[in-house]
Amino acid sequence: MIELTDLTKQYGSTLAVDHLNLTVAKGEIFGFIGPNGAGKTTTIRMMAGVLGPTGGTVRVGGIPMATDPEAAKRIIGFIPDRPFLYEKLTGMEFMRFVADLYGCGDDLFQQKAEQLLIQFSLYDWADHLIEAYSHGMKQRLIIASALLHEPRVIIVDEPMVGLDPAGIRMVKDLLRELARNGTTIFMSTHTLEIAEDLCDRIGVIHHGRLVALGTTGDLRGTALLQEGDLEEVFLRLTGKEAP
Amino acid sequence: MNEIIALLRPRFLSFKNTGDSRSAGSRRVRYLLFGAIGLAFWIGAFLVFYRVLNYFQGIEEFGDVLARKLLSMVLLTFFSLLVFSGIVASLSKLYLSRDLLLVHSLPVSGWKIFLARWLESTIDSSWMVILFSLPVFLSYGIVYHAGPFFYATAGMSLIALCLIASAISALAVVIAAVLLPAGRIRTVFVFFGLLLVIALILAFRLMRPERLVNPENFATLLLYLREMGTPGSPFLPTTWVFDSLNAALSGLKGEAFFHLALAWSCAAALAFVGTWTAGAFYFRGYTKAQTTAEKLFPHKNGPREKRNPLIERLSGPAWAFTVKEFRTFFRDQTQWPQLFMIAALIVIYLYNFSVLPLGQSKIRTVYLQNIFSFLNMGLASFVLTAIAARFVYPAVSFEGDAFWIVRVAPISLKTFLWVKFAVYGLPLLILAEILIVSSNLLLQVTPFMMGLSVVTVFLMTPGVVALGVGLGAAYPDFKSENPAQAVTSFGGLLFMLLAAGFIAAVIILEAGPVYQLFMADYHGRSLSVLHWTWLIVSFALVLLLCILAVVLSMRLGERRLRG
Repeated sequence: MIELTDLTKQYGSTLAVDHLNLTVAKGEIFGFIGPNGAGKTTTIRMMAGVLGPTGGTVRVGGIPMATDPEAAKRIIGFIPDRPFLYEKLTGMEFMRFVADLYGCGDDLFQQKAEQLLIQFSLYDWADHLIEAYSHGMKQRLIIASALLHEPRVIIVDEPMVGLDPAGIRMVKDLLRELARNGTTIFMSTHTLEIAEDLCDRIGVIHHGRLVALGTTGDLRGTALLQEGDLEEVFLRLTGKEAP
Repeated sequence: MNEIIALLRPRFLSFKNTGDSRSAGSRRVRYLLFGAIGLAFWIGAFLVFYRVLNYFQGIEEFGDVLARKLLSMVLLTFFSLLVFSGIVASLSKLYLSRDLLLVHSLPVSGWKIFLARWLESTIDSSWMVILFSLPVFLSYGIVYHAGPFFYATAGMSLIALCLIASAISALAVVIAAVLLPAGRIRTVFVFFGLLLVIALILAFRLMRPERLVNPENFATLLLYLREMGTPGSPFLPTTWVFDSLNAALSGLKGEAFFHLALAWSCAAALAFVGTWTAGAFYFRGYTKAQTTAEKLFPHKNGPREKRNPLIERLSGPAWAFTVKEFRTFFRDQTQWPQLFMIAALIVIYLYNFSVLPLGQSKIRTVYLQNIFSFLNMGLASFVLTAIAARFVYPAVSFEGDAFWIVRVAPISLKTFLWVKFAVYGLPLLILAEILIVSSNLLLQVTPFMMGLSVVTVFLMTPGVVALGVGLGAAYPDFKSENPAQAVTSFGGLLFMLLAAGFIAAVIILEAGPVYQLFMADYHGRSLSVLHWTWLIVSFALVLLLCILAVVLSMRLGERRLRG
C-alpha cells in the first residue's frame, strides 16, 4: 500500500533522509521510530505530499505522489505533529472545509461528521470557535477530520501528543479497528510502549537511514540483544545507550 | 472552481466569526478609531486634490496638462505601491502562511491553491489603495464635471490595475522562489520591494513636485511642460489606465473602452500565465522555501564568551536578555530592509529642509527659520514615533512563544521591560538628536533654538520609547505571525495616539513662552516677571510630563503583563 523507493531529502549540505526503501502492506500498522532529527518528520511529510523529495519515489495505493499527487492524497488521511487549525472557525466549519476538499458529499459528511464528533467527544463543542478548544481537543479534531473521507492510508506523526489517557486508549482502539478493516497505518512516535503495543512492524531511522526493520523480536536480533524491551533495543540501535 | 471556493471559505468564515469572538468589544473600538482616522485622511486627500485641480484649472493652456500629468504620476505611484504590497502579500500567502502544511496535504492541485491564494493576496494588497484612490478620482470627476461613465471607467480600470499588479507580483514570487537560495526568499523579496518604494519616494521627492504650484517657475518650466505632454510607454499598464481615464474625462467612450479592454486583456493573460506557471513551479518553490537556511552565524566564541564592558555591570539575567535582544534584532533579516527604509526616510526628511524656499518668502527669514525649527521638534518626534511604532511597540510581542522563558526566569518583569527600554531607547535617542541637530544646521537656526531643540528631544525621546514599551507590554500579541504588524492593533493605535498627544502637549507647553522669549529678543526688551513665571512653569510641566510618560507607561506595562 505504501512504497518508498530510494527516497532522499537533502537540506543544503544536510542529508535528512538517505535512500530510504520501505514497503508497508494493506492493513498493517507500521511504527516509525528514531531519535530527534533522524528524519522521521521529513519522511512523513514527503509521504503526505507536502514536501518534495530530492530523489526517489513515493507510491501510495500504487499511485505515484510525484506525478499524481491529488489522487494519492485523496486516499491519505494525514495527521501532522504540529497541526494547524483555523482558530476562527468552529469545529464543524473546519470539518466541512476538509470534507469539501476531499469531495465528500453532503449526506456522507453529515453522517460521518456527527459520528466522528461523538466518537471524539467533541459533539457539544462542534459550534464553538476552535480558539476556545484545549490542546487535546484540537488534536482530537484533527484526527477526526483526517478520518472524514474514510482514507485507505493514515499517515500520522506523533498521534498521542496532547491526549489524555482516555483519549490515548480511544485512538489506539480506533487505529486497531481501522487496520482490521484494511486501512494501512504509518505512524511515527517517540512513545516506544505505544509502538511496541500497537505496531505490526517497526522501522528505526537514524541519520536519515533505516537501520533496523521488523517486529520487536526482529529488532532485538538486529541489536544483538537476547532480551529487553523496545527501549533497550532502540538505545542500542541508535547508539544512545547509557555507558 | 468548487475547490477554489472551498479554499477561500476559511478566510470568509474567519472574518464572519471574528465578530463573535471574545475580543469583539476592543475590535469595535479599533474599527471606530481606524475608521475615523481613515475618513479624516480620505477627506484631507479629497480636499488637497480638489484644491490643486481647481488651481490648475485657473492656469490657462497648462492647466489641463498639469492635471493630466498629476494623474499619470498618481497612477504610477499606485501601481508601484500595488506591486510592492502584492509581492509582500503573495509571498506571505504562497510560502509563509501557517496553514500551508494543511492545505498542501489536501487533494488539491498546486495551481488551484495558487489561484485561491492569488485572489486573497489581490484583495489584501489592493483594498487600501482602492479606498484611498477614490478621493483622487472623485476630485477629478467633480472638477471636470464628468458623468457616471467616468466613475464606472475609473472603477473598472482600477480593478484591472490591481489585478495586473498582483499577477505580476505573484508571478515574480513563484519564479523567484524556484531560483533564489532557500531560506533567503522572504528577505530578498522584502528587500527588493522596499528598494522599489524607496527609489520611488526618492525619485518623487527629487522631482520637487512643489515647483509645479509655484507660478514663478513656469517660465523655466516651459520645456519641462512640453516633455510632460508626451505620452507614457504604450506597454505600461498605467498608460492604458491613464488613456482610458483621460478619454472618459473627455467623453470619448470608444477610446476609453479600447484602453480599458487593453488593461483587462492584460490582466486576464497574466492570470492565465501565472496559473500555468504555478502549476509547473509552485510546489517546487514551496518545498524549497521549507528548507532551512544554511548556518548564517557560526558560533565563534564558545560558551565562555567575553562580556561587553559596557553591559557587564548588569545582573546575569538582565545581561542575558540584553545580549539576546541585540542578537535577535540584528539576525532577523526581516529587520534589515526596515532599517534601509528608515535611512531613506531620514534622507528625504533632511532633504526637505535643504530645499525649503526660505529666501522666497515675504516673512522675515529669521522668524521663519525659528518657526520651522520649532515645528521641526514636533516633526522629528513624530518620525521617532513612527520608528518606535515599528520597532519598540512590538518588542514585547516579538518574544512570541518564547515569552514563557521570561516568566520563569529569575528576573522581574520590571527589569525585563527596562532592558527593552534601554536597548531601543539609546539608539533612538542618538537618532533623534542627529535628526534635530542636522535639520537645525540646515535651517541655520539661532543657538538658543538649537539648545532648546536638543534638550526637548532629549526629554521627549524616553517618553515616546517608554510609551512604546509600556503599551506594547500592556497589549501584547504573542500569537501573531508578524508582530511588526502589531501596530495596527488597538494597543498600537493607542500608542500612536498617546505619543502624538504627548508630543503635541510638550510643543504647546513650550510654544507660548518661547514665542515671548523670541519676540522680546527681537524687539530688544527684557521679559516681564509674568513671562518668566510662565516660562518656568511651562518648562517644569514639560519636565514633569516627560517623567510621568516614562514612569506611568512602564508601570502600566508591568502591571498588565503580570496580570
